Amino acid sequence: MIAALARPSLARVFRTPRALLALGAWSVLALGFALAARSRGSANGADHVLVNAYGALILPLLAYTLVGAVLGARSLAASIAPVVRLGAAPTRAAVVTVGVAVGAGAAVGAVLASVVALLAHGSGDPPAASDALASAYAGALGGAAYTAWFVVGASFGKRGGGRAVLLVADWVLGLGRGAVALATPRAHLRNLLGGTAPMEWSGRASAAALVMIAVVCAVVAVRRAARA
Amino acid sequence: MIALDGVAARRAPLTLARLSLSWGPGVHSIVGTPGDGGPLVLELVAGKARLRTGHVRVLDGSPVDAAVRRQVALVLLEPSLPDALSAAEVLALAATLRGEPPRDPVSRLASLGVEALAPRRVRTLAPEEARAVALAEALTSTRVRVLLLEEPLAGVDPRAAARLPEVLRGRGRDGCVVLVATASLRDAGDVADDHVLLRGGTIAGRAGSLGELSAFSQDGVRVRIVASDPQALLAAVAGEAAVEAVARRDGAVVARGRDAAALAAAVGRAVVASGVDVMEIRVETPSMDDARAASASVSTATYEAAYARTRAGLAPPPDGPP
Repeated sequence: MIAALARPSLARVFRTPRALLALGAWSVLALGFALAARSRGSANGADHVLVNAYGALILPLLAYTLVGAVLGARSLAASIAPVVRLGAAPTRAAVVTVGVAVGAGAAVGAVLASVVALLAHGSGDPPAASDALASAYAGALGGAAYTAWFVVGASFGKRGGGRAVLLVADWVLGLGRGAVALATPRAHLRNLLGGTAPMEWSGRASAAALVMIAVVCAVVAVRRAARA
Repeated sequence: MIALDGVAARRAPLTLARLSLSWGPGVHSIVGTPGDGGPLVLELVAGKARLRTGHVRVLDGSPVDAAVRRQVALVLLEPSLPDALSAAEVLALAATLRGEPPRDPVSRLASLGVEALAPRRVRTLAPEEARAVALAEALTSTRVRVLLLEEPLAGVDPRAAARLPEVLRGRGRDGCVVLVATASLRDAGDVADDHVLLRGGTIAGRAGSLGELSAFSQDGVRVRIVASDPQALLAAVAGEAAVEAVARRDGAVVARGRDAAALAAAVGRAVVASGVDVMEIRVETPSMDDARAASASVSTATYEAAYARTRAGLAPPPDGPP
């Protein structure tokens, strides 16, 4: 049943050339930043690229695109409506759709972060293998939190326009280091990737915050979609 | 199998006002425009719209129960199917979700003559084709026992439209409840055994056949005849007692009478008497306004009769005490 419910969402991603092209473009851009850092011979290339390009720009936009692809550029409720019409329970359909988005976000985030860490690795960075592993961990948490963040955004508005609002909110609120930034994935991902910490939080606290953001956003999105 | 008890619901600007209806196995129609509430009734039965008051029971359960939901198929004018899947994959997915044994999707689509759509992705289908796929899924499902269809004969692939009336009747005979919301009296008469007329969210009338719907008309029944010599036919028809009025319209003769059988017999006699060749003869379907006006007059007459009875009951007997 879960596989059957996941199929429409997965098909939207893999059978929509425009979605694949957009996802590929953001990934290529991340790899481009990494290769540029490597060619410059930057001592802390992985750190710089992960914090300033991957975490600040690539992962949010990649997650934004991924959510749009999974939901077919519609609201969450509208994207599950066809399977509900065919007899699926709305809550179950919403859980599986959100699960597909969050799982894909975590997987893409982890793989891309580790590849970027390896490609941009400089002499001043930690050992490559452990750095790639740590980056994959941060990328997975960041990817999951960002996709859940945008999925809850997509539960607002007829065509899921709340997704764009949350993109801007993350950008604006997550830049600082104050208490407001704690509510955004950006501040915690930056902390995990080695950037400035919000409110001097530890990496472990930020990891827990990202998990919390992912869980809360997913629950809110599912409840809203099931009620619609 | 479907029971609405004092159901009220609102979808601006429409308000359904305390509807109490029930339907068992067979094909039934709700006649009215979307603004009269037919599609909203379908969505209430499918558990897709919110009730303000009252109760809806479907298959002895709530429409939002998971077990009930799997046995209910709702096909509205705008089809809603998973857009990235092919038509065949949609049918396979639906079978899994409804808990049916897997069957060949091509043969299921063939029941409506649209098997050629099987490999095509839903997003490449025209709306009429997508509706045909949705209807094929609903009509060939072995789990579905309640079919809720908005305008099944409109906006659908012509290959499917030709087969739909018989397939719908077949599902009704198999013990399913088929509830059709349509603004077309002709479509209602083609597919359904009984009819509910909705007007502005209230029940304006009920009828057991298209003939009864026609009889609702204040103008009576109309027969349109295309003949080789309309003038001669007109003269012959005008002499028949059962014909209340006759006129030429667009080259045809239109006769009006109170009783359908008597009018048909009168027209037959007139055709024989005038010796004209008849190219076409058919009963004209009453317009929606005819049916509405007729049901309003039935309601008014019922009220007047009840009022008269009440007055008679309240009046003191002629020789009783004051």
